[in-house]
Amino acid sequence: MMKMTQRSFDIAALVDELEPVKPISPRNIIVTAAIITMVALAIIVSITGVRADLLAGKPEALFLLRSGILGLLGFASAYSVLAMASPSVGKHHSSWQMALVGAILFPLAGIVALATGDTGLTDAPLSSGLACLFYSAVTAAATAIPMVVTLRKGAPTSPERAGWLTGVASGGLGTLAYNFHCPYDSLVYTGVWYGCTVAVCAVAGRLIVPKLIRW
Amino acid sequence: MKSNEESLRQLMRLAQRGDKSAYSTLLTEAGRWLSRFYAHKIAPDAVDDLVQDTLMSVHRKLSSYDPSRPFLPWLAAIARYRWVDRLRQTYKHQASALDFDVATEGHEDVVGAKISIDRLLFQLPENQAEAIRLTKIEGHSVAETCARTGQSESLVKVNVHRGLKKLTALIESE
Repeated sequence: MMKMTQRSFDIAALVDELEPVKPISPRNIIVTAAIITMVALAIIVSITGVRADLLAGKPEALFLLRSGILGLLGFASAYSVLAMASPSVGKHHSSWQMALVGAILFPLAGIVALATGDTGLTDAPLSSGLACLFYSAVTAAATAIPMVVTLRKGAPTSPERAGWLTGVASGGLGTLAYNFHCPYDSLVYTGVWYGCTVAVCAVAGRLIVPKLIRW
Repeated sequence: MKSNEESLRQLMRLAQRGDKSAYSTLLTEAGRWLSRFYAHKIAPDAVDDLVQDTLMSVHRKLSSYDPSRPFLPWLAAIARYRWVDRLRQTYKHQASALDFDVATEGHEDVVGAKISIDRLLFQLPENQAEAIRLTKIEGHSVAETCARTGQSESLVKVNVHRGLKKLTALIESE
């Protein structure tokens, strides 16, 4: 009886604090992440220049393929991250899995190409790979902000997985933005540097994000 | 269960718009539901604390409820998260056994079975589930658990650690 009275009292205190809340809207956050990606893309190409084939209006096939896969990886993973903010038993956050499988084809194809004599990696200077890593990571950090803010407002039940996915999503969007400058179309280059960048972002997400979103 | 789900969902929608009367009813009903949900899954004298913790989480995370989805699976996900979190905290239950007289009506139907804590434990390997059940739910010491299960002390600890980690990953699974 004492316990029921205590609980009634606690409930009254919670009720007094009630303010109207707006349910989390994944669509708004996806749009925000897309806008940040476009702004970052504009900044990157204004600093480093845009790809020659785009300027000529004849984009290379690998560029188009890379853009599609990275966009799919970034947005599908971001959607899964944001779905994790609204938990529910029986809910599945699997949209990112197929996109990741598609993206992994690049490193795998790169290994095959390397084994068959592709010199794309050695043709490109190390500084270009590091630039890919730097610009993509900075963009990734910016796109991760609205995701982390949403996760903090929400109730993610698996902070570690949310961390991994935030890293993959922001890494995908970061590399997508840099892709519009990147002048290299080698499969090996794409597999190594783009793959490394997404992997670094994923590890950073796993290490940093869970500490920010625990509840 | 269906009418309960519908009425709770409606109350939650009103609560998100700031309706204090609906919110009060919702929390009271959710508190009762949670008491049954946690029965047998934690020491009886810890149930009220855990229910209050969960209601506090519900209060802080109101915006995480998507009004287009059912309410009870959302509440169950939060309840499971708080339960696993509580299991992580090392404690030694004073009582030697659980009170098996606690009423559990309303949790035996199909929906209740899908979101119950039992469902979560069944997804663990038997040795991990048993180690967690004995040490964290029934409050036995590691030594007592070793004697009951035949596992070594280090194996019990590893099973508890791995089991809790797996439970965290399974919180939203049916």
